[in-house]
Amino acid sequence: MTAPAAAAERAALRVCLWCAAAAAAEVGVYVSYRGHDARFHWFTHFFVGSSLALIVMAAVAARTRRPVPLPLVWPFLAHLVAMFPDFLFTAGIAHERWMDVFLGHISSHFVPGRNLTWFTTFLAALAAYLIALARMPHARAR
Amino acid sequence: MGQAVRERPTFRPTRALVVVWVAAAAGFGLLLAVARTSQGPLDDPDPAWQRPGFLDAGDLPVPAPPGLAVRGRTTVVFFVRSDGGSELCQALEAGRLAEKAAAAVVVADRTPGACAAAAVVADADGAVADSYGMRRPRGGGPPVGYAVVDAAGAIRYRTLDPGVAGRLGEVRTIAAALP
Repeated sequence: MTAPAAAAERAALRVCLWCAAAAAAEVGVYVSYRGHDARFHWFTHFFVGSSLALIVMAAVAARTRRPVPLPLVWPFLAHLVAMFPDFLFTAGIAHERWMDVFLGHISSHFVPGRNLTWFTTFLAALAAYLIALARMPHARAR
Repeated sequence: MGQAVRERPTFRPTRALVVVWVAAAAGFGLLLAVARTSQGPLDDPDPAWQRPGFLDAGDLPVPAPPGLAVRGRTTVVFFVRSDGGSELCQALEAGRLAEKAAAAVVVADRTPGACAAAAVVADADGAVADSYGMRRPRGGGPPVGYAVVDAAGAIRYRTLDPGVAGRLGEVRTIAAALP
């Protein structure tokens, strides 16, 4: 195996490990929805949080002309922010309207089209980040 | 001098990125479809209105109809079908909801049965559920869920919840949000 091929293989393995870790973390978040309905709420807050993270990531990547570090961590952290009131709910604190400060935690459920709208937004934000990556130099010499 | 320039693994934008986007679209689209199809006949047709978790959603608060709510105290009015009444009653007797609120159970049947932890009334024609503005489940028929009435007699919360007997802690959280 050539050195570039081995390096590419290591990079792919690293990406897979990150993907597996992110998937495991999101499954954990899904399971944590004891006090709420995961089928609906998880999707809303995941799409909202991830969309915002991806838009920020696209802006950062376009400005620095480099992929952002730890790209799977950004959406996960934004998801945690968006769903923070659900942690409070599990602890016995009901939602209130001011909790919209957590990325629209209350009102994001009531947008027309519901989760389909947020799914579309998520795909658009993901496309924005991927386009920002695609515009970068394809290979760099060290 | 003479050192070969090593290239990092080449990032192939168009193809790889399109694959990532399509995989995300297909994967999350599939998960959304699975979540949608896993909803049961007792669930709300619009999941945004099921267990929203906050008071005064939509057109609330509105005055509660007279008869079931206890004046001067928060009251939770449960709506069940005949086959779920005993399970809810056992949960009410075992739970701690009484610390926060009085309870009443409306059974969509002619024979309501008895419950030591709550007043029980029959609602065979659905008139009581309608007077509380309970939403209709996806599969039709009488609602399974609850409404929370504050001490002043206003409905502050209402939701369908087919699994309410196992989630009285959540009902308690909502009741505790009222003064």
